[in-house]
Amino acid sequence: MAPSLLHPPSQLSPGDALQLSQQAPILLQSSAGAASTSLFSGLLAAPETAALWIQYENLLLSCLRTGDQRAAHLCLERLIARFGDENERIMALKGLVKEADAQNTGELENILKEYDQILKENNTNIPITKRRVALLRSMGRLSDAASALVQLLDFSPTDAEAWSELADVYLVQGMYPQAIYAMEEALVLAPNAWNIHARLGEMQYMAATAPGAASGSYQKCMAESLKRFARSIELCDDYLRGYYGLKLVTNALLKEQNKLAKQSEEGEFSLPETKTIERLNELATAKLSEIVRRSTAQETGWRGYDKLEVEAARKLLSDEATAASAIER
Amino acid sequence: MAADKGIVGDMVASMLWFSAYSYSCYSAQEHSALQSFRATTAALTSSTPTAASLPVDIVIETIVATLVISLGLVLGTRPLRPIQWNVWAGKLEREGPEGFLDSEGEVNKDYVGNPFRLLEARPGFVDIRKQRKEFAEWVKNGGQIQGN
Repeated sequence: MAPSLLHPPSQLSPGDALQLSQQAPILLQSSAGAASTSLFSGLLAAPETAALWIQYENLLLSCLRTGDQRAAHLCLERLIARFGDENERIMALKGLVKEADAQNTGELENILKEYDQILKENNTNIPITKRRVALLRSMGRLSDAASALVQLLDFSPTDAEAWSELADVYLVQGMYPQAIYAMEEALVLAPNAWNIHARLGEMQYMAATAPGAASGSYQKCMAESLKRFARSIELCDDYLRGYYGLKLVTNALLKEQNKLAKQSEEGEFSLPETKTIERLNELATAKLSEIVRRSTAQETGWRGYDKLEVEAARKLLSDEATAASAIER
Repeated sequence: MAADKGIVGDMVASMLWFSAYSYSCYSAQEHSALQSFRATTAALTSSTPTAASLPVDIVIETIVATLVISLGLVLGTRPLRPIQWNVWAGKLEREGPEGFLDSEGEVNKDYVGNPFRLLEARPGFVDIRKQRKEFAEWVKNGGQIQGN
C-alpha cells in the first residue's frame, strides 16, 4: 500500500518517507496556482482545498526527514504565504525547519531562546510549547523536558498526546510509577484506545520485570498488566500486540505460580486463579498461531499486520515449543 | 479479481431489473397516451385522463418490478461496515487499508487506520533531528523502498 500524503508521516518507515518526499516536485508544481497570492493565477488554478494544506504540512515533514531542505523551505514559504507568520501551527513548523537546519548545539540553544521569547509574549501557545519540550528532549535534557511538560499539562490537562509524551519521557528515565500514572491519564481521555491499553500493559510488565523493581510490587504490576492486555483484546478482535502481551505475562505467571499463590493484597486487583491463567495462555497461543499462519500465507483479510510483529510472535511461539520439547527429553 | 467480477455481475443484474421497471413505466405511459388520444378524438375537453384506471396487468407489472429491484439492490450491496467497536477495530488491525475499499476499489478517503496511533506517534513532539539521523543511517546501509 503506497503511503498517502493525507496522513501524518511520523510513523512511516524510511522507505515510505523517501517515497513521499519524492512526490515533492510534482505536488509543488501542480498546486503552485492555488498557493499563489496573485489574484490572476489564483482564479485560473484548481480550487483550494483543505486537503492541500495537510499535504503541504506532511510533505514538509517528510522532506525534512529525508534531508530535502529546498523542497521543505518551499513548502514552508507557501504555508506562511497562506496562513501568515503569526499562526501558532506555522510558528511551530518554522521552528521545526530551523531545528532540522541547525548544525551545532549553539544554534539549538538559540532556537530554544527564540521559543522562550515567543512563550514570553504568549505563554499559552501550545504548538510552540510542544516544540520546546521536543527540543529539550532531543538535546538530552530529559528532566527539563518533563518539567516543561508538567507545566503544559497544568494549563491544558486534556491533552492526551502530552500525557502520552510525559509517560514516555518518564519511561526512558526508568521512572515506572510516574510513567504509568501519566499513561493512565492519557487513557482517561481516550478510554477506548486499544493500543494505549496494550502500551500500558507493556509498561506494567517492564515495571514488574525491571532489575531494580521492588519485589512487593511484582504481583501487583503483573496483575495490572494482565488486566490491560485483556482489555486491549476486548476492545479489538485479533489484536496481535494484545495477544502477544497476554502470552508473555501468562507465561511468566505460570512459571512462578508457586511463589505467587501465597501473597494476596487486599483492595488491589488480585490475580485470577491459576486455571484461568492457564486458559488465557492457551487462548493466546491459539490466536497467535492462527494470526501467524494466516498472515504468513497472505490470506485475504489478514494482510494488515506488521511483518516484524508477526515475525516476533512466530519467534515467541517457536521458542516456547523448543523449550517444551527440551523438558520432555 | 473475484470482487471485481462480483461488482460487474451486480451491476448487470440491477440493470436488468431496472429495465423491467422502466418497461412497466413505458407501458403505463403508452396506456395513458392511448387514453388521451381516445379522449381527444371523442372531442372531450378534459386534458387529464384518469390515472386510477390503469389496467390490472400494468399495476402488477409495476409492483413486481419494484419488489424485484429493491431485493436486487439490497442483495447486491457490498457488506456493511461493522458498527461494533471491537469488530471494527479488529478489522482495522487484521485487514489494514484493504478492508476499507469503496465501490471503485480505491481505499476510502476517510480511512485513517487506528485513530489512536497518534497518541503513540505524537506528531506534535516529533524529534526531527533524530529522524534525520536514522534516515541517514538507513540510506548508508543501502535502504530500499519496500512494497514496490
